[in-house]
Parts: sequence; C-alpha cells; structure tokens
Amino acid sequence: MFGYVRPRAEELKIRDFERFRACYCGLCHELGRLYGLPGRSILNYDFVFLSMLLWEEENCGYCFRRCLPGLFRKKCVCASAKPLTTAAGYSVILAYWKARDNLADSRGIKRLAAKAACFWLGRAYKKAAKAHPGFDSNVRERLRALSELEAGNVESLDRPADQFALLLAYAASEADEPSRRALEQLLYHVGRTIYIADAWNDLGDDLKSGSYNPVARRFKLTSQDAPEDVKESVRQTLNSSVNLAAAAFELLPVSCWRPVTENIIYLGIPQMINDVLAGTYRAPGRRIPTRPELGQNGE
Amino acid sequence: MTDPYKVLGISQTASDDEVKRAYRELAKKYHPDNYVDNPLADLAQEKMKEINEAYDTITRSRKNGGSAGSAGYTGGYSSGYSGGSAYQRANPAYAQIRSAINAGNLQYAEQLLDSCPTRDAEWNFLMGSLYYKKGWLDDARSFFQRAVNMEPSNGEYRQALSMVSGNNSPYRQTGYGPPAGQGGCDMCDMCTAMMCANMMCGGCR
Repeated sequence: MFGYVRPRAEELKIRDFERFRACYCGLCHELGRLYGLPGRSILNYDFVFLSMLLWEEENCGYCFRRCLPGLFRKKCVCASAKPLTTAAGYSVILAYWKARDNLADSRGIKRLAAKAACFWLGRAYKKAAKAHPGFDSNVRERLRALSELEAGNVESLDRPADQFALLLAYAASEADEPSRRALEQLLYHVGRTIYIADAWNDLGDDLKSGSYNPVARRFKLTSQDAPEDVKESVRQTLNSSVNLAAAAFELLPVSCWRPVTENIIYLGIPQMINDVLAGTYRAPGRRIPTRPELGQNGE
Repeated sequence: MTDPYKVLGISQTASDDEVKRAYRELAKKYHPDNYVDNPLADLAQEKMKEINEAYDTITRSRKNGGSAGSAGYTGGYSSGYSGGSAYQRANPAYAQIRSAINAGNLQYAEQLLDSCPTRDAEWNFLMGSLYYKKGWLDDARSFFQRAVNMEPSNGEYRQALSMVSGNNSPYRQTGYGPPAGQGGCDMCDMCTAMMCANMMCGGCR
C-alpha cells in the first residue's frame, strides 16, 4: 500500500527535481548503510516524503555515491542526516509488521511469500526496533487494532482509516511544539488519504476474494463499478482531508524541501486521488525517478 | 524580535508594492476563513498576528517613524460556535458540549453526547462537529447530513455540511491549476460573458 505520495515531476523546477531525486537516493543509501540489502528493497516514495517533512535544518549536505543503477556514473545524493535515519528505521518497522500481518491473513503460496518476507526483513527489523522502540510499539498497537476492526467487519470508513492515520501521525512526535501539532495533522490526513485511496484501489481484488474492504463495507458495494454518487462522496471526503493537510502544511516552518513538499500536497496527491478514482492509477516502479521528457507531461 | 522582512518572505530592498503584495498573499493564506473549525486555528491566528505586526513595522519605518496606525488585516477569529441566545431553547447540555468541542476536550464532549437522551438535529450537528475535529470526515458528513435533513432551514448546519464536502477548497497555492476541471472564472468565461453582453446590447437597439 505504499508509493501513493509522489510529486508531479513535470511541474517541478529542474533543480527541485534533482534535489528530490537526491533525497530518494539518499534514503536508499541510508537504508543500505543501516539495514543492508533487505533495507534497500523496501524503499518507497512515502518515506521520502516523510524524511523531507522531518527535515529541520535549513539546508542539506550532498555527496557523490555509486550504486547498482548508477554503476558507471556517481550520483549526487543527500548525505546521511537524522531525518533520513528516522525515515529509514520507520519504513523497515512498518514493512516488517505489514509482512507479519500478511502472514497471519494469507494461505497457500502467498503465505509462503509472506514468510519469506518476514525472514528477509527479520534482522533489519530487530535493529530498527531497537533504535525506534516508540514507533515500533505504536505500529504494533495500531495494526492490531486495525486487524480487530477488520475481523469485526466494521461498517465505518473512518474507524479503520483513523488507526492507519494515527500510525503515521506518530512520526510527528519528535518535532518541537508549535510545529508538532501541525505536522501531526498533516501526517494524519495524508495517512487517511492513503488508506482510503488504497482501499478503493483494492476494491476489485477484495470483492473477488471476499476479503474485508472498508469502502465496499461502508457503501455496501457488491461490484467494482461503484455508482457515481458513491464515487463522489469518496472524492469529497478525500478532498477535505487534502484541504486539512494543506492548511496544516502552511503552518510548518519553511525548509529547503518546500518546493517539493508543496508540489506533493497541492498537485501530487490530488492527481493521485483523481487517478485512483478514475481507475487509471499505476503503482510506481522500482526505478530511480526520471525527469519527464518534453511533450510527455502527464496530460 | 524577528526580522519583519523575513516574516513576509521578502528582501529589505523590496518596493512598497512588493511588500503589500507579499502581505496580501500571506494574509489570504492564513485568513481565518481557511481555518474555520480547524484544530490548528490558534496557530494560524498567531501566524496572522505575526504577519500583521511585520507589515505594520515595515510600513511605519518606511514612513520615517510616522504614526502609521494599524493598516493590517483585522478580520476577527470568531472561533467556533457562538452557542449564544439562539440555542438556549434547546437542551442546556448542548452549550456545555459546544464549549467542550471548542476547547478541544473531545473525549468529554463524546461522553456528554452519548448520554443525551434525544437525538435531534442539533445533537447530530454536534456529533458531526466532534468527528470533524477528530478528522473523521466521512462520519462527520453523515451526521451533518442528518442534521440538515431534520432541520433544513438552519444555516449553521448547511454551512457545516458544505464545509465537510470539500468543495470550497480554502486556498490553492500553486498556480498550475488543479488536475480536475474545477469551476472558476477564467479569461474564457469573461470573454463569453462580454460577448453575451455585447449581443444583448446590440439586440436592444
């Protein structure tokens, strides 16, 4: 359920795009440095966004690094910094518990895959949980509450979304006071948006397999083609969340990442919502983000 | 004290026009209307105060210390629900619930609401407000909708419903335009309006 939070690259200035890519690569290198290959394998855009939001210093340092996709030419990446360390640890913890969740839920070949993922992430998780015990217990508690709600087949959309949103909002807890509240609200509503958008995206699969889907349950859907008014109310509730996230975002101190984070909130997320609701959303690949070519502006 | 120019995000050499433009832009962004019922309204209010002070300081110093008075924006933050005389006819517990919601004491408000015997329009409205503050926007909308259905003439309920429907997006920073076709008045609309007006004038001859 990751990778929903991306900028619209064609609307970024080139220097901001290069910076964003440096942050993406920086997080990848940080994951590699701390958690090895298993860490790198779970890199995703959402945690790049998180590390940019957690950035408190006015600027960031850069260094040149080699990696597998950039074997022949060193790439400019963000040097290791506290927000990257935090985001890397959090993403390992979340990925591990998601895999554990899958292990409990799935049967057959999928169960085998989940088991392999747990094993693959096991050592990295132990290290990350030791470094971030608060986030670890938070994730555990939230995901347990979430699976309880799922098992109870709860009819509300907000109740499960609330748990996932709180899971993400916890990441704000280390920030300083006035901006902590704003960051918390921002992360809460981004988390809520991700959860609901992901539920909509999985609607077809979940209905086919008969597993719990909060959107299907809330609007009593039985087929993937939701009526227009259902789509409209999902759109409205997502838009309100984005508005509240944006209002909170404006109260955060300005950092060097502002052009990118601004783009994500005002353009990237609304675009994602449109794509998801129209059924044209495509999950991002595992490649280093590339600048869009001329004439290919996503229209 | 912080540098007033930094607060407005401009350089010391900015012209008077640039100062005014930067101030207006920021005042629009942190306008109370954008933070109605938002749990962060107090932070926005502080920010607004800071901007007003910075603008005042700059204009005053540019007039060589003349008493420039407060030229700033003076929109009031009439925070939340008035809960005044209009609601006295209703259940007296509602006033208490309103103030609990406004103070951010959501758990207490929820307890009070649960213990209310009647489920009238105002109860639904307050329940919606509670959920809105929590960020449970979908549930909030259901309650607001119920309140409006029960008492369609109440402006407060209708306003709350339209707010939670997300149609009135408060402020769009970037000028690239939203991805979806959203209403608004652009140059084409204006041209069409002009053409219509022209035709009508011609027709009256």
